[in-house]
Amino acid sequence: MEAFAVNLLNGCSWGMLLFLIAVGLTTVFGVLGVLNFAHGSFFMLGAYGSMQIMHLFNSFWLGLLVGPALIALLGMALEMGLLRRVYGRDVSYQLLLTFALLLVLDDAVRIIWGPAYHVVEAPPLLAGSFAFFTHSYPVYRLFLVAAGPLLGLCLWAFFRFTHWGKIIRAAAMDRDMAEGVGIRVPLLFTLVFGLGTWLAAVGGALAAPHQSVGPSMGERVIIESFIVVVVGGLGSFPGAFVGALILGLIESFGTVFAGRAQMALPYILLAVVLLLRPRGLFGREA
Amino acid sequence: MRKPRLSWILVAFLLAGLLAAPVSALAEKPVKMGFVYIMSGPFSTYGQFAKQGAQLAIDEINAQGGILGRQVEAYFEDSTGKADVAVRAIRKLVYQNGVDVLIGLDSSGVAKTVVPTIPEMKTPLIITHAATPDVTGSLCNKYTFRISVNINQNIKAAALLAAESQAQTWSTIGPDYAFGHQSWEYFKKYLKEKKPDAVFLPDDKVAFAPIKTTDFSAYITKLMESKPDGVLVSLWGGNLIDFVRQADAMGFFQSGTQVLMTLGAATEVLYALGDKMPEGIWVGTRYWFLGNDTPQNVAFRKAYQKRFGQFPSYNAQGAYAAVLTYKAAAEKAKSTDKEAIAAALAGLTVTLPVGTITLRPEDHQALTDAFWGRTAADSAYPIRILKPFKVFPAQDVTPPADTTGCNLR
Repeated sequence: MEAFAVNLLNGCSWGMLLFLIAVGLTTVFGVLGVLNFAHGSFFMLGAYGSMQIMHLFNSFWLGLLVGPALIALLGMALEMGLLRRVYGRDVSYQLLLTFALLLVLDDAVRIIWGPAYHVVEAPPLLAGSFAFFTHSYPVYRLFLVAAGPLLGLCLWAFFRFTHWGKIIRAAAMDRDMAEGVGIRVPLLFTLVFGLGTWLAAVGGALAAPHQSVGPSMGERVIIESFIVVVVGGLGSFPGAFVGALILGLIESFGTVFAGRAQMALPYILLAVVLLLRPRGLFGREA
Repeated sequence: MRKPRLSWILVAFLLAGLLAAPVSALAEKPVKMGFVYIMSGPFSTYGQFAKQGAQLAIDEINAQGGILGRQVEAYFEDSTGKADVAVRAIRKLVYQNGVDVLIGLDSSGVAKTVVPTIPEMKTPLIITHAATPDVTGSLCNKYTFRISVNINQNIKAAALLAAESQAQTWSTIGPDYAFGHQSWEYFKKYLKEKKPDAVFLPDDKVAFAPIKTTDFSAYITKLMESKPDGVLVSLWGGNLIDFVRQADAMGFFQSGTQVLMTLGAATEVLYALGDKMPEGIWVGTRYWFLGNDTPQNVAFRKAYQKRFGQFPSYNAQGAYAAVLTYKAAAEKAKSTDKEAIAAALAGLTVTLPVGTITLRPEDHQALTDAFWGRTAADSAYPIRILKPFKVFPAQDVTPPADTTGCNLR
């Protein structure tokens, strides 16, 4: 029972971190139709950016607020300068371009911050741990478990009820028609790409106190977030949430019960979902 | 007045170039060294530190007149931690850059693939980090040497420490590839010899995490559930940093478990963790910057710190020491001919910052001491230092040459 509860928490907190990364990926895909390889790099930049702000102002919360916002601006600039030029072209152009971005951003990080590992402190409010059965469990992990659904709920409400949310959904459904009724789609795409980047960066900023910050930390999460997005359904919001939760739980329970087979579990999940529901759990029919 | 035509200016430059040329042609051709380390990805800190160590050694040697009167030139390649990339990098260094010696290799996985390709290139290779026993065992060859501690030496020392402790039941957490598994296998073997009643948890209870893992909570829970008295941790680099922080937050280090971290005293890790590294943990290393106060070590420590602002890591020392080892071999052979160097390296005794080592002629493994210590805070240092610091003499921890499976005949 106790082991079960701890594993549940482990899985949920990891899953929620994956959700934050995957939800940005899926939003960008759903609206722009771009599979963004550089998404993991924005996750990494979010961690580095907020770490830098935290060091300057000695405040975790300021870093969390300002760092991802700066990275989102960078994302919007990249969309306007580069990505916008390949929307009309073959998908392979988008893949090559975003892959190139990943390589450039990874090296840029190494040039700016050096190759060393960095460690970021959790804020005093969330530092420490609490007694949990006979274990002690870090408070910060509980914060992650709460932060994921909270942010997810905000996003859902934004898309569902606000004016801008409706416009974005309209543009995602039919770009030409949206342009026809006077929506400035290019601007909208820039903003949505900024939002996706921001989400990845927030994920990075939140991951920073929980793991080491180092070059190519983005490459390690991008594969798993791709699995989440495909399992949940490309472009689907609840899909990303459920997919991330499933993957997080599979990895935590798999580690304990499946032994060495644990490494294969995410891919088995991916294969099974693709066989039974090729559009993912929450994917819409085309 | 007519302006001089561009082509004439170019001719002038060419002539100036010709004037300069004989000077460099008179000097002897440089000694070329090729370095292969992990320069990118989650372990890139190790490669960058090695590069710093190598540069320091080369600059010092060049300032003192080079090797056999020839200047030293360095070529650095990124192995990316992948075997096929490393093999390509090594071929490029040998066939394209024409290096006289190869130095490097961080990962055991990489070393196992690279070493069998070395005889075809007929170029001496000095390994400074990769620890798998196989490259000076079943895969050994005429051109391959290792100046650093291997798994046997590091783990034998760990087992001697474990045998002294009260811990009876042992478990492990390590990276899920050859290095992690071999560390555990040797630990069981050596501890069993010293303490026949020691108990080892079965394979389904121990933890091996893939290298890409960033969340170790499930592994930590698994370890804590099985309640061992002692845990051998063979994680390294970013994996070790993540593990230490998360395990600390989950109360792992407060549970009274005896913890042995085989590569815990890497300054790459200690600098990143700072005061987040728990005190009183046994950590192993291939070199410790405060390990001895010989003139070589003091000079190296000071020069490195002055130039790079940090205390040298074992990987920095490894690359630095490999350059010195090559110089010693060249001076012994009075030549940089590759065959002569390989012959001179076998049986060579050389004094390095880490101490005096001998490259055993039978398998080319260095007889070098293994180091362990307990982490302790000291306000004079920005990182945890080792107190007490224990030296396990090479003869106590190195398996006899006839048991390594190496046959150089």
